[in-house]
Amino acid sequence: MVKKRVVITGLGVFCGAGKNVTEFSDALLNGKSGIAPLDLFDVSAFPARIGCQVKGYAPLDHFDRTTARKLSRADQFGLIAVTEALTDSGLAGHYSPFDMGVSMGGGAAGMFQSEQWLRSLLAGESAPPVLLRGVLPDKTATEIALACNLAGYQGTVTTACSSSATAIGWGAELVATGQQRAVVAGGSDTLSLLTFGGFNSLKVVDPEPCSPFSLGRQGISLGEGAAFLVLESEEDALARGARIYGAVLGYALAGEAYHMTAPEPTGSTAARVMRDAIAAAGIDSSRVGWVNAHGTGTPLNDVVESNAMKLVFGERVPSVPLISTKAMTGHCLGAAGAIEALATVIALNHRTIPQTLNFRGRDPECDLDYCHEGKRPCEAGIAMSNSFAFGGNITSLVLGI
Amino acid sequence: MIYSYNDIVISGFSAVTAAGNGIEAVLELLGSGRDALSSVPDEIAANGGQRWGKALGFRASDFMPPLKARKLDRCSQFAVGASGLALKDAGIDPKNINAERIGIALGCGFGGVANSAEFLSGYFKGGVEGLAPVLFPNTVSNAPASNSSIEHGLKGPNVTLVQRFCSAESAFAMACRFITEGRADVMLTGGADDLMPLMITGFAATGQLRRYAACFGEGSGILVLESAAHAARRNAPIKATVEAVASVGLLPAGHEQEGADRLFTGAEQCDLISLSGTAGDTPLLMQRIEAHATFDISSILGRSLAMGGTAIATLLASLKPGQQGLHLAASPEGPYYAIRFTGGTGAASTSHCDMKGVSY
Repeated sequence: MVKKRVVITGLGVFCGAGKNVTEFSDALLNGKSGIAPLDLFDVSAFPARIGCQVKGYAPLDHFDRTTARKLSRADQFGLIAVTEALTDSGLAGHYSPFDMGVSMGGGAAGMFQSEQWLRSLLAGESAPPVLLRGVLPDKTATEIALACNLAGYQGTVTTACSSSATAIGWGAELVATGQQRAVVAGGSDTLSLLTFGGFNSLKVVDPEPCSPFSLGRQGISLGEGAAFLVLESEEDALARGARIYGAVLGYALAGEAYHMTAPEPTGSTAARVMRDAIAAAGIDSSRVGWVNAHGTGTPLNDVVESNAMKLVFGERVPSVPLISTKAMTGHCLGAAGAIEALATVIALNHRTIPQTLNFRGRDPECDLDYCHEGKRPCEAGIAMSNSFAFGGNITSLVLGI
Repeated sequence: MIYSYNDIVISGFSAVTAAGNGIEAVLELLGSGRDALSSVPDEIAANGGQRWGKALGFRASDFMPPLKARKLDRCSQFAVGASGLALKDAGIDPKNINAERIGIALGCGFGGVANSAEFLSGYFKGGVEGLAPVLFPNTVSNAPASNSSIEHGLKGPNVTLVQRFCSAESAFAMACRFITEGRADVMLTGGADDLMPLMITGFAATGQLRRYAACFGEGSGILVLESAAHAARRNAPIKATVEAVASVGLLPAGHEQEGADRLFTGAEQCDLISLSGTAGDTPLLMQRIEAHATFDISSILGRSLAMGGTAIATLLASLKPGQQGLHLAASPEGPYYAIRFTGGTGAASTSHCDMKGVSY
């Protein structure tokens, strides 16, 4: 079976670094971080009190009161980003609703609301049960399908921090094989006490804005947001005269089968996934111009990912920049892969490799080119976006223009 | 969407349920006309009279070293146990297969929620000092699949999906593609779910106890999918062949018939139908299959979001060689799945069509 080439015809994002594609592009290309003190919930007792929150968010700016009440913060962010992406694509009216699907990745989802219900329950107080409606991330996909009349595929990947990268790869697969004419693919996830307290309890949150691949890095900065891509076959997109931002050329995923929280130190599985993604794209690794790293800023992740890069690119590795946008967006967990895929597409379109912010000094164990000094021009038309997750779940996307 | 297959077989399956361990326990229960439901203690369901399908006979230490079992959440224990049983049923020793060519795609409903609640309770009761870091890793939905991959050495594709009552079916669809695309030779797939008292409280608060559930259940049902070529190379018993996977996300007002047409394409001829999720509560779907023999194991085991794996395993264990089976699953607001199978030469000969208490 000859697969169709899958192109990206719409972009949408809503996150702490930018509340639409224009704002996000400005932050990405000009090195503006959204990491700042948090006020979504009380963080005063934690050693790290910062993150990349969508500040000043007012649901009623986007939804009527009844709708806002039944949607979790993650549902709302997802719908806002999807609406931007679908509007951008000009897709409306071109396909049967049954030929359009939603493939999304989620994480903590509506936990921000659900944990308020639990707190009330434990305190013996009554709390509105609507707070529990979004406890599972699949509700966001269903709300998107209902609101946007996407009657085709509806699925939610939940592999923690690689969720939405896999959802994009899978969405592309549905289009490539002709099962769907269009798929809205991406992810949405928001800050919650569960994840903020969880990563703090593991002592992997940097009290200062995270500094991926730098000397003295202490861990992640958490973030929140949503990003979605509209995927279609190239022939369909050309036929309706759509703007084409790029293509999902290939993806791969695997489980390390090593440890729930610690990455396998040599990076061998990560390297295998990257190689498989490149092979799935039908290209040679020499065509990959740069890599948007998972790049969390934890002491271990950044070394392992650097090791994996060396295994994949061999002698060429010094000339393949490995950058991280997490110092700009924070680690958006279930939405991270989608936000980073979107950042990669934007950067490719601008022929620019974004800067990895917050350089604190060169780490001898991270000895690659991380673009710490600033963004730079790059003519390469293909880049890779990596996502690693709890459980050893690894996904790589190969994106091109 | 619909995708037809001719190159994927099912070489093994198993389940951990309220009926016991193994699909045989489910078959025996179906044949008996009884159920495995027990009363929810009044202190959990304050209004009383509720029943649930707790897997009370499951002991994690039967499937893994006790010290290891203590580190896993209950949902992961189910998944690890059922995966091991399914691999054994398929005659696969993971040590004798290229680990990178065997993966897992799991539907997981509430996996992670129990640990999340316990972890958060620590914080709400004791502040930052009350946070137990050992609990946090298993708060993610992919813990059951990932723990299964760690315990059984599965280094191929690894993914978890949650999509309401069609979580396992969503995983099944993806697992099939992974094999067809050549990403793996063997994929474990199915579902896992656990049931805890706080969930009953939550279901009651949101009206779910009345609306969807005479009872909720728990456990894990796992299928071993294999490329036909790989199964042939190792002379594996063929329990069934996958024919097609069809799904629609919604049945929008005014377009319900078109959606049902897409779902049932090619599914006119079938000998036995498994119902899962809210398929049995969806008149439009039931009208299409009213002349067929159907069964719904949720009536004897309790309903869960990831019940699809167990339901499919039960269907396949019931198909005679060459018989056509249809697994029909639905969620209240979508999605909907219709998955078609043909019974294989190695399938069990028992037919559920004759069993007591399972025909609708």
